[in-house]
Amino acid sequence: MSDATSTLPPGAENISRGGFNLHAGPIYRLPDDGAVRCFALPVLDKHLNGGGNVHGGLLMTFADISMSQTARAVTAAPGCNTVSMTCDFVGPGRAGETLECRVRITRQTRTLVFLSADITAGGRAVAVATGLWKIV
Amino acid sequence: MSAPPGFTQTRLIDPFEIHVGPVFERGEKGAKVLGFRVDKRHVNMRGIVHGGMLMTFADAAMGQAAWDACDHADVVTLNMQSQFLAPAREGDWIEVAPVLTRRTKSLIFLRGDFTVNGVPIFSVSSVWKILGVD
Repeated sequence: MSDATSTLPPGAENISRGGFNLHAGPIYRLPDDGAVRCFALPVLDKHLNGGGNVHGGLLMTFADISMSQTARAVTAAPGCNTVSMTCDFVGPGRAGETLECRVRITRQTRTLVFLSADITAGGRAVAVATGLWKIV
Repeated sequence: MSAPPGFTQTRLIDPFEIHVGPVFERGEKGAKVLGFRVDKRHVNMRGIVHGGMLMTFADAAMGQAAWDACDHADVVTLNMQSQFLAPAREGDWIEVAPVLTRRTKSLIFLRGDFTVNGVPIFSVSSVWKILGVD
């Protein structure tokens, strides 16, 4: 496989600093698209399932990290914990592709943030997730 | 760190599961308990097990149960709902006994409560598709 990072758009910033975030990543933050916060994950061989498609666990990890990062950024809170997350697996993603995650804020209250995330590969829908974060 | 007595290592096929594993199991087909030991690869910067790791382990564990529920046909995850109940930390042993809620001709419904020392920390319900069946 060629250097996966070469498929990243200009302005991509690596946000995987350690722990599982780095072990499962790396994940990149892309420039915002208006109110939508954008993230990217170049698919490596380690991210696949036995069928050669992106593993569901990796897709949920990518959605969780993207939405958690967004929750923390918009609240400026010391921390935001994932309370619940739902993910629909819509279509396959493959090695060599770059997954993109677009995160929208549905609602923010004093203690909670409601978010949604669309994950695509080359414009194809791969996964759709929604989740709830507690501001701590 | 190893698994509790009675567990043997699960044979994993998916590269991403091998990357985050090992995973262990005990019990018979259809009534298995699966578990993993949290290590430094699995935690966030605060030392708490990462939600992505819990969901990945859930996908692996429910996947084993789905596979057992359809005589090892090919299955894919259609949907997973996850609830994060309490933190788990490095060194903790996390285990789940997947429950088959229902199986139709083409779909499998599975749920599971994940515990550390008997205390629920994470809960999922999931829907699986048996490939090649309408």
